[in-house]
Amino acid sequence: MEGSAVRRWALWGAALLVTAVVFASGHSTPRQYPNRKLVRFWHRWQGDWEKQVKKIVDAFNQSQDQYEVVPVSVPGEGADAKLILGAIGGDPPDLMSMGSGAVPNMAANGFLAPLDTMMTPAEKVQFFQHSYPAIRDIGMYRGHCYGMTIGADLMALYVNAQQLRDAGYDPDKFPKTLEEVEAMGMKLNKYDAAGHLTRLGFLLSDINYISHDFGGGFYVREDGAAELNTPQNLRALTAIVEYRKKIGFENVIRFQAGLNDIEGAASWAFMHGDLSITYDGQWRVEELRKFKPDLDYRVYPVPPPKEGGTPLGGLVGGNYMLVPVSAKQKEGAWEFLKFWSGLDNPDRAATFYNMGGWLPYSPAVANSPTYQKWLTGDSQFRAFLQILASPNCKPPPAIANLQFLDDLIAHAEDEAVQGAKTPKQALDELDAKFKEETAKRRALGYDQ
Amino acid sequence: MARRTNHRAKEYLVGYLFVSPWIVGFLAFTLWPFLQSIYLSFTRYNIVAPAKWVGAANYKMLLTQDPLFWHSAWVTIKFGFFSVPLGIIAGVGLALLLNSNVKGIGVFRTIFFLPSIVPTVATTVLFMWLLNPNIGLINKALARAGVTGPAWLKTAPWAFNSLIMMSLWGVGGSMIIYLAGLKDIPTGLYEAATLDGANAIKKLRHITLPMMTPVIFFNLIMGIIGAFQYFTQAYVMAPTGGPEDSTYFYSLYLYNRAWKYLDMGYASAMAWMLFLIIIVTTGLVFRTQKRWVHYGG
Repeated sequence: MEGSAVRRWALWGAALLVTAVVFASGHSTPRQYPNRKLVRFWHRWQGDWEKQVKKIVDAFNQSQDQYEVVPVSVPGEGADAKLILGAIGGDPPDLMSMGSGAVPNMAANGFLAPLDTMMTPAEKVQFFQHSYPAIRDIGMYRGHCYGMTIGADLMALYVNAQQLRDAGYDPDKFPKTLEEVEAMGMKLNKYDAAGHLTRLGFLLSDINYISHDFGGGFYVREDGAAELNTPQNLRALTAIVEYRKKIGFENVIRFQAGLNDIEGAASWAFMHGDLSITYDGQWRVEELRKFKPDLDYRVYPVPPPKEGGTPLGGLVGGNYMLVPVSAKQKEGAWEFLKFWSGLDNPDRAATFYNMGGWLPYSPAVANSPTYQKWLTGDSQFRAFLQILASPNCKPPPAIANLQFLDDLIAHAEDEAVQGAKTPKQALDELDAKFKEETAKRRALGYDQ
Repeated sequence: MARRTNHRAKEYLVGYLFVSPWIVGFLAFTLWPFLQSIYLSFTRYNIVAPAKWVGAANYKMLLTQDPLFWHSAWVTIKFGFFSVPLGIIAGVGLALLLNSNVKGIGVFRTIFFLPSIVPTVATTVLFMWLLNPNIGLINKALARAGVTGPAWLKTAPWAFNSLIMMSLWGVGGSMIIYLAGLKDIPTGLYEAATLDGANAIKKLRHITLPMMTPVIFFNLIMGIIGAFQYFTQAYVMAPTGGPEDSTYFYSLYLYNRAWKYLDMGYASAMAWMLFLIIIVTTGLVFRTQKRWVHYGG
């Protein structure tokens, strides 16, 4: 063979080798137990939470010898699209933790496996009869459960006890009406010489949640009948707008823009005294315990308005666990889901819920010795359990175009708060747009 | 003779083999989806279930029952109307400045070109900090001058204006093309003009700009297409198009329809409407070129 031919073959060989190495290295799932069945778990937790998730996964992997769960943190933005693309490509995760809005749409479009078909009769009884109703219903679509919440989210008022005392209030005697909280908030506001806010006493916002304290909420039944533009919702939106006007829209915008509100970190504005009374989720209790253990604070459910309100109102959201219909290892995914949720052992799972400051799926977990012990250390968490157990705590409507509705609700609040529309006009528009969209979808052959 | 033909065929084969990765990529990832999307635009399609034929329903709804379609198209057109001419003015202006023969001009050219190669997402996040109404550098600087800066991305008119302002950040890319165009102008034209007593303004108006029109025309077309496809910055800053839908660009709405509401058929119809709008607009601009573009160089 001539020298040039040898060189040519060597070149081709090297090219093939490089190609093989590049393609082979693309598939590099780290395995600790290569002989077990692989369960791929995508989740959206990052930072400190990711570490907690890893601990739960490790506990599961050590608890049995059939499956190995491998967790992968997928950033929140675009996670839906990644799951969809994975499903289309025939290579989805076996289990995915997803934000609330996407579940009914994905279920309606045939992406998700019904979890109830994987439950034993005893598990069905446990889940359908003993869960908190809002948590049970949150992942339901057309009579089937497509998502189980591992980390349900609820909102309540975090109160800086010292700042209340300084302003002449007793933090242990919290107001019984929303109007009183508003007045308290106005007194707690602080301004600089130029009139800019330097501390925000209280801010009423988020119509999707707050409307439940006004006896309202945004409901759409399975037949498509909607209760969106109701007097209760109008009162809630009007209250939000009027309160914002009192402080000054731009003043609030500027103040809020300067706050650092990274979740799962020590930077929450409430920790640093920039917010006196603030509306936030239950996960902050655990953050405060970790990052600001000496802060004297209280947590209270939002008190209802003086007239026409409902106590302990709330809207459940949060992280759903989903099993894609084309997942290769559904059984393993379900075993892990059971392990984490506590469907088979509430007391063991209590430890997991405590790690991330998550709300349990059932009173069985909440009443377990481990959970009760944790509550003695994080007693402020009780306010969230109170709301969760209340009949006024609701799930979002189980409709396929829930994301569209959520966008409309946020848009209506945005327009009303910015003064582009009155609360009435904003809700009228929301109602009309939703009806228009529903009619459009029906004309195209969708159920809703 | 036969040997030469054989050699030629072999050369062709080698040539095609070299370009085959591109050809395969183009056929599989561009042409096929392109053709497929025509069909999908006449269907109800959610990716998982097979597409269902709905005729022209998607197009009919877009045009007659979807105010957000018109609104997002209007936002996009408005953006193009302001950002494209501003980009041309800034690009040509910078190119003229950086065409001077001063010491260290290469460094200046690099500095002005650099922002255009920074990833869009990184630039957008940087601007979100710069435009923060409370702690952003821009408002801090304005405050030093005694001016209260606006709330930028948080209020309706200013969010849109901020995006136009941001679009100028990447003007370095077109500036390089203008600079190349300037270098291509024969120096003899300027010498003749100097002999005729023309001053700098007259040279700019009667030589530089007319000779630059083919390059300006190219950048105008690319700018219009880019404006209609404007997405990343809007998606990073306000994924739902707020405040008050003021940054709800056409491509953002298309993306939300496709990936958020899983309405691929409708989104495909939107994509084809966008394609038609771009074709018509660029066609109209092409028709005007006889009046103002000079290919005399």
